[in-house]
Amino acid sequence: MTKITVNGREIEADPKQPLIRACHDAGIDVPMYCYHPGLTPVGSCRICQVEVAGPPGQPGRVVAACRTPVAPGMVVDTDSPKAHETRRECLEFLLKNHPLDCPICDKAGECDLQDYSYNEGQGKGRSSEPRRKLEKRKSLGDVIVLDEERCILCSRCVRFFEDVTKKPQLTVEGLGSRSVINTYMDKPLEGNYQGNLADICPVGALTSKRFRFQARVWNLAKSLSTCAECSRGCSITVETLRGQEVKRFRPRCEPAVNQWWMCDTGRHAFQPVSRGLAPEGEVFGGRLRGACVRGFQGLELAEVEDALAVAADLLAARPGALLVLSPFATQEEAQAALALARRVNATAKFLSPAPNGLKDDFLHTGDPCPNRRGLTQLGFEPLEVAKLPDALKSAKAALLAGERVLEIAGADALAKLPTSVRLIAFDVAACDAPALDVCVAVPTHVEKHGHWINVDGHVGRLDVALSAPSGVEPLERSLARLEQLVASSGVRA
Amino acid sequence: MRAFETYLLSRIAAPNSHTLAGYRAQGGYRALEQVLKKPWKPEEVVGAIKESGLRGRGGAGFPCGMKWSFMPDPAKDPRPRYLAVNADESEPGTCKDRVLMERDPHGLLEGCLIACYAMRAQAAYIYVRGEYRLSYDRLQAAIDEARAAGLVGKHVLGTDFHCELWMHKGAGAYICGEETGLMESLEGYRGHPRPKPPFPAASGLWKSPTTVNNVETIFNAPFIVERGAKWFTSLGTPKSTGNFLCGVSGHVNKPGVYELPFGVTAREIIEEKAGGVWKGRKLKAFFPGGSSTGLLPASAADVVMDHDSVKAAGSMFGTAAMIVLDETASIPQIMEVTLRFYEHESCGQCSQCREGTQWLHQIFRRIARGQGKPEDLDLLVSLSNGMAPGKTICALSDAAAIPTLAAVKHFRADFEAAIAQASFSHRPAAALATAAAEETHS
Repeated sequence: MTKITVNGREIEADPKQPLIRACHDAGIDVPMYCYHPGLTPVGSCRICQVEVAGPPGQPGRVVAACRTPVAPGMVVDTDSPKAHETRRECLEFLLKNHPLDCPICDKAGECDLQDYSYNEGQGKGRSSEPRRKLEKRKSLGDVIVLDEERCILCSRCVRFFEDVTKKPQLTVEGLGSRSVINTYMDKPLEGNYQGNLADICPVGALTSKRFRFQARVWNLAKSLSTCAECSRGCSITVETLRGQEVKRFRPRCEPAVNQWWMCDTGRHAFQPVSRGLAPEGEVFGGRLRGACVRGFQGLELAEVEDALAVAADLLAARPGALLVLSPFATQEEAQAALALARRVNATAKFLSPAPNGLKDDFLHTGDPCPNRRGLTQLGFEPLEVAKLPDALKSAKAALLAGERVLEIAGADALAKLPTSVRLIAFDVAACDAPALDVCVAVPTHVEKHGHWINVDGHVGRLDVALSAPSGVEPLERSLARLEQLVASSGVRA
Repeated sequence: MRAFETYLLSRIAAPNSHTLAGYRAQGGYRALEQVLKKPWKPEEVVGAIKESGLRGRGGAGFPCGMKWSFMPDPAKDPRPRYLAVNADESEPGTCKDRVLMERDPHGLLEGCLIACYAMRAQAAYIYVRGEYRLSYDRLQAAIDEARAAGLVGKHVLGTDFHCELWMHKGAGAYICGEETGLMESLEGYRGHPRPKPPFPAASGLWKSPTTVNNVETIFNAPFIVERGAKWFTSLGTPKSTGNFLCGVSGHVNKPGVYELPFGVTAREIIEEKAGGVWKGRKLKAFFPGGSSTGLLPASAADVVMDHDSVKAAGSMFGTAAMIVLDETASIPQIMEVTLRFYEHESCGQCSQCREGTQWLHQIFRRIARGQGKPEDLDLLVSLSNGMAPGKTICALSDAAAIPTLAAVKHFRADFEAAIAQASFSHRPAAALATAAAEETHS
């Protein structure tokens, strides 16, 4: 580490990193378009120009901070009139051919070009020349659409494929003012990481087809979360519109896990959590409201407390139950389940789905069990989905708990179970299995607090992005209440 | 003009000057033998070049000996080392290296071998622009001949010095004449200039120490070795030593490439060498060193042609490619053509250059076509100041901005006159249609 002075403040800087990184690490804002901390710096956009003091008696020089190495004792001013003027000029050139269609641009509100133009640009354009006319909606595959007019040719997208996935797919085609971004021979983009292009594009040139025209970004509420698609557990931000629905998942920088990236499988996995509620008064046809118990007419809606009482009686009557957790169970839920399992002397396992074949050499582990490591650490044994029916058949009672546990176990497999085994379920939706006696609703992973431990032991955090539907209690609370009921009935199986 | 000694073009008159036999008959490869057989230490060669004060002939005029001494010590740096010879010669107006490559290719090869010896480089790459077919063929034939004669390859002239010479053909991009763009192109990538630092001497071709020199610079080396640095400093001016090749083009009676000592004036070149401005007209303006150097008015014709004097006059010595314009030339049209070139050749990496060259071209085009506006001139100045100096990765942006600033400074009245005549309502429909058609094709 070496000491440099930025805006009169002495900061510690890593001499291996470019100057812009040192400034950002110290909390000093330096604009950037082509620079991205996860990509090789190329120094082409020239917006990150700052003034570096010259030798005594000589004027300072304006340099591109992303291509300037940190030198000991360097004196930098990011705020000098010369630096501001250079950046203003740069913005004027960048806006010369930019279509300024912010009102219909998905990026508006989180666009670096917009932000810096407000900060340091000029209010009025001086160009009376015609703007470049280019392709406005060029499809680059299933995920991304390119607007060539908005592009400022920062080449972040080109370098993303070169540096991050190591499978180059994009290039800058043409020379000078005739340059455009394109794939080789107009082939569509491939791979599971295309969605990152929409994140790293500093303007609205590369946008996500799934998010296109879905929401204005300033209406989106953001909360921290962790991706549920595999055991990598990428740190993500869940963005919700008006507290109603999840509009997108985006990666959140976590150096130990996913840096700035995430796969498209995870990015597009917000459909399951957006599933609507079952119609009023119905058990099936959507997410369960509250709870249901088996009555004369099959499963009937019930109060949660009543359903838990039925479950407690059932566990008391049939000791030595099998407890199977969902692969999505959090550490907190697993601990509550463990306490319950001890109380009723049940065997505690977690449902382990088979690898889904999406494993790659970058982020995706192919293991659709986000908390495998955490559950194993707590003493839960994996139970393969294929072996679940046999395990259930040999049990008298079983408790299946956690988000989507019934779906993963398979509705058909559960429907075929003999009625000798009685099932208690805690899941987002009930299933129509004759063996199912009780089902209590649980929140999805975007509706609860909790933690998962990823494949490398990193603890990922889940925060409440949406409030759970009324009557839906957190799973750990329902399990704790169930344990309490079992305890108070005095039964110790 | 005072009398002076010539050496650069002294051999080309012989009919077979491009062959090894022709070259040897005129004393060729004697300097190389002197260096290898005596033998000189590599540092002694660099020292001689430093002492001679030889400055780069590719435009910037950087001291050549100093550039060579930037190469890291091979004892401390085991990477391979290269010399890249910039024979891309793409600056508009420049045609001096072509004469040397076509008529005296062995002179360049001998220079390359001496330079490689001095810098302990194991190979030299000669990057020739694609349009120079004869240059390429003659250089390649010369390399083949030299290789057969034991002058290139392993054990040059039977000594322990090994040196390979390779040719590379460019594909016609101006930007590949920029040293880092040239290296990218040579490596097989698009000719996008690389940001500096790292400089080529630290990390150049294939991330190895590299020196990039102009053809004419390298061509001077054997003469300095053979005749001595003292002889070289006796030519030219104290700070710009030796002779230079001046390619005069434009409105003169005898355009061509002339060998001249530093210190002659532009007027002497135009009137005594190039036969004066053609058709009995008067001089209006001239680019002293290619289109990237600032346009100078006729009143500056007495400027002494050396690096520092031309700079003091507000322009650059550049590649000494003098483009002469007579009194009938329209400065707005000249600038339109110039900026069309830079817009076309900008690589497109840096924002200022990609957008700025296009913008300047659009403004000049409007002015030249009678659609100029009074505020355009201040805009041109303001935009040019946003593009230069040193605000971009390479100097192409500067190369577009500098002539713009100079043209507006010296010929403001011409532009104002063009703008004053501008008329939007009285343009014939046919002219508008032509303009629109050109716009779509440009």
